[in-house]
Amino acid sequence: MTKEERLKKRHRAEKRFRFYGLTSIFVALLFVVILVQNIFSKGSSAFKKTVITTEVFFDQELLEIQNGSSKEEIMEADFYDIMIENLIKAYPAKDRDEEDELLKLFSGDAEIEIKKAFLNDNSLIGKTITLDLTASDDIDQLHKGNYPRDLPEERRRISDFQLVIYDYFVENKKISKNFNNYFFNNGDSRDPELAGIGGALVGSFYSILICLLLAFPVAVLASIYLEEFAPKNKITDFIEININNLAAVPSIVYGLLALQILLATIQLPRSTPLVAGITLALMTLPRIIIPCRASLKAVPPSIREGALAVGASKFQSVFHHVVPLALPGTLSGTIIGLAQALGETAPLILIGMVAFVVDIPTSPVDPSSSLPVQVYLWSESAERGFVEKTSATIMMLLSFLIVMNFIAVYLRQKFEKRWN
Amino acid sequence: MSSIKIKSKNLNVYYGNKQALYDVNLDLNEKEVTALIGPSGCGKSTFIRCINRMNDVIDICKVTGNIEMDGVEINDKNLDVVSLRERVGMVFQKPNPFPKSIYDNISYGPKIHGKGETKSELDQIVENSLKKSALWEEVKDRLDEPGTSLSGGQQQRLCIARAISVNPEVILMDEPCSALDPIATAKIEELIDELKKTYTIVIVTHSMAQAVRVSQKTGFFHLGKLIEVGKTEKIFKNPDNKMTQDYITGRFG
Repeated sequence: MTKEERLKKRHRAEKRFRFYGLTSIFVALLFVVILVQNIFSKGSSAFKKTVITTEVFFDQELLEIQNGSSKEEIMEADFYDIMIENLIKAYPAKDRDEEDELLKLFSGDAEIEIKKAFLNDNSLIGKTITLDLTASDDIDQLHKGNYPRDLPEERRRISDFQLVIYDYFVENKKISKNFNNYFFNNGDSRDPELAGIGGALVGSFYSILICLLLAFPVAVLASIYLEEFAPKNKITDFIEININNLAAVPSIVYGLLALQILLATIQLPRSTPLVAGITLALMTLPRIIIPCRASLKAVPPSIREGALAVGASKFQSVFHHVVPLALPGTLSGTIIGLAQALGETAPLILIGMVAFVVDIPTSPVDPSSSLPVQVYLWSESAERGFVEKTSATIMMLLSFLIVMNFIAVYLRQKFEKRWN
Repeated sequence: MSSIKIKSKNLNVYYGNKQALYDVNLDLNEKEVTALIGPSGCGKSTFIRCINRMNDVIDICKVTGNIEMDGVEINDKNLDVVSLRERVGMVFQKPNPFPKSIYDNISYGPKIHGKGETKSELDQIVENSLKKSALWEEVKDRLDEPGTSLSGGQQQRLCIARAISVNPEVILMDEPCSALDPIATAKIEELIDELKKTYTIVIVTHSMAQAVRVSQKTGFFHLGKLIEVGKTEKIFKNPDNKMTQDYITGRFG
């Protein structure tokens, strides 16, 4: 082979490698685009809910309360009858079946929405007001275009009569889409139009908070001790190997551990953010120790020597010089560890966080759900309305992860000191 | 003849199974510059790191024999290394200022030793240290800037200022000019000349010319042994040992 030929071959190899590299990046980006596009197209509609503009007349005879009634009296009053009365007045129904179908256009909480309007202004007796009442899941999905209406009636959940009324709503602009406050404020529900991630958000927040409070100090102190103070011998080698091994243990194993120790032996309350936080802390601990030790190791020895040489004690050289320099790396490692914990599902399922929890937890010892488990729960549900809820929850989860990772990168770039 | 500040007797140092120093007997005179020369890995740095017990940092390092400062044993387990290092400062091969402001670099030592209780006392110490290290004029208007933003030569003088900020008796310099250009080197050498009026200085160097210029006494190390020690003039003009002769004339090393 001549010199020219060899040179050409080298250039060709370089071009080939460049092509392979670009192709792999393109394929990776393609997958990301498909994933994000899929989630967005399915999930974005969940942030809106369908409401039906309805005139409500507050009939004193049916309600059996007066203007100025106390809150307790209003809470006890039955608003169901006035809802039926108002609906029949607006949309005459032939029989009881049609009455039922009429009612089923609305969410089960429509009655409560009327009651809330009255609670806000208890002088409404004998008056008529216009309210935006939440539509039922079927109408919601129909209005969002997710429901096939050209099927024969017996294969539809929406009857012909309901379709007629729906078309009347559309024609008279009585149906519209509003911001879905239920999605953020409510806990889980069997009715998709009422189900929200409020409970899961609070549950995840408490879990991650407990995880942070437990894992961060332990991980940082363990890293500092192992990296700066511990003698290098067989015992510390053994500990180091095992920390690396623990970081690779499947998360479900931590779930089993928590099930046996935290729930069965210590008898902590199940399905709670407390147990979830402890479990996630166990899982996250080695995942924080590893980047934390790496950032301590990255501090040049000359800084330690410089401090020792002016007479700083070992403790002073570590805490005055090494730890502050390692802090950005430590914090970003911690945030990335927490981001992993936030997305963790398997161990939480084992400790009972899959329970159906309607109430929003007020403390870490209340039963609760968490964001990834909520995704898992809803993805299994049959109702069409949960499809968009699942994707929307994934969107929320992903945006939290992106924000956390962004903070991690920012901390590292902003505060990392450069030395020559 | 000035008095002896530091005296080593049969000093042996081992790194694990490897012996780095063999029976070193070396006296360092007070307020004098002693240069240590010799090929790389001959034990010069190991020797000076015995004086402020920096070898303690290395787990596998073991030191036997005696080394005394003002008649007090340094190589004693019960000796408090913190107060030893307050008396024996050190300047390293590569400038290693803390990634903090120039002011904080110098005030750190006095602070941890409880010198300079008030802000004005600390200011005074910082100013004096920088003046002694001939850096004051260059940095007096930017004491808040990071020490790492200075040039290499300035950084090394900052490290010298840091070392003298705690008012030590001895300053150890481990090839302080090896990372510097000739102009910066000249400044450091001038500074050493000035500092020897107050401090006992030990300097490890690879430059014969530097040893001649700055030192009054020179020790030649080879393979962990102190081959020859004497007045600098004598060592470079008329050494007793053939090996010293070969080294300083550049025949090996």
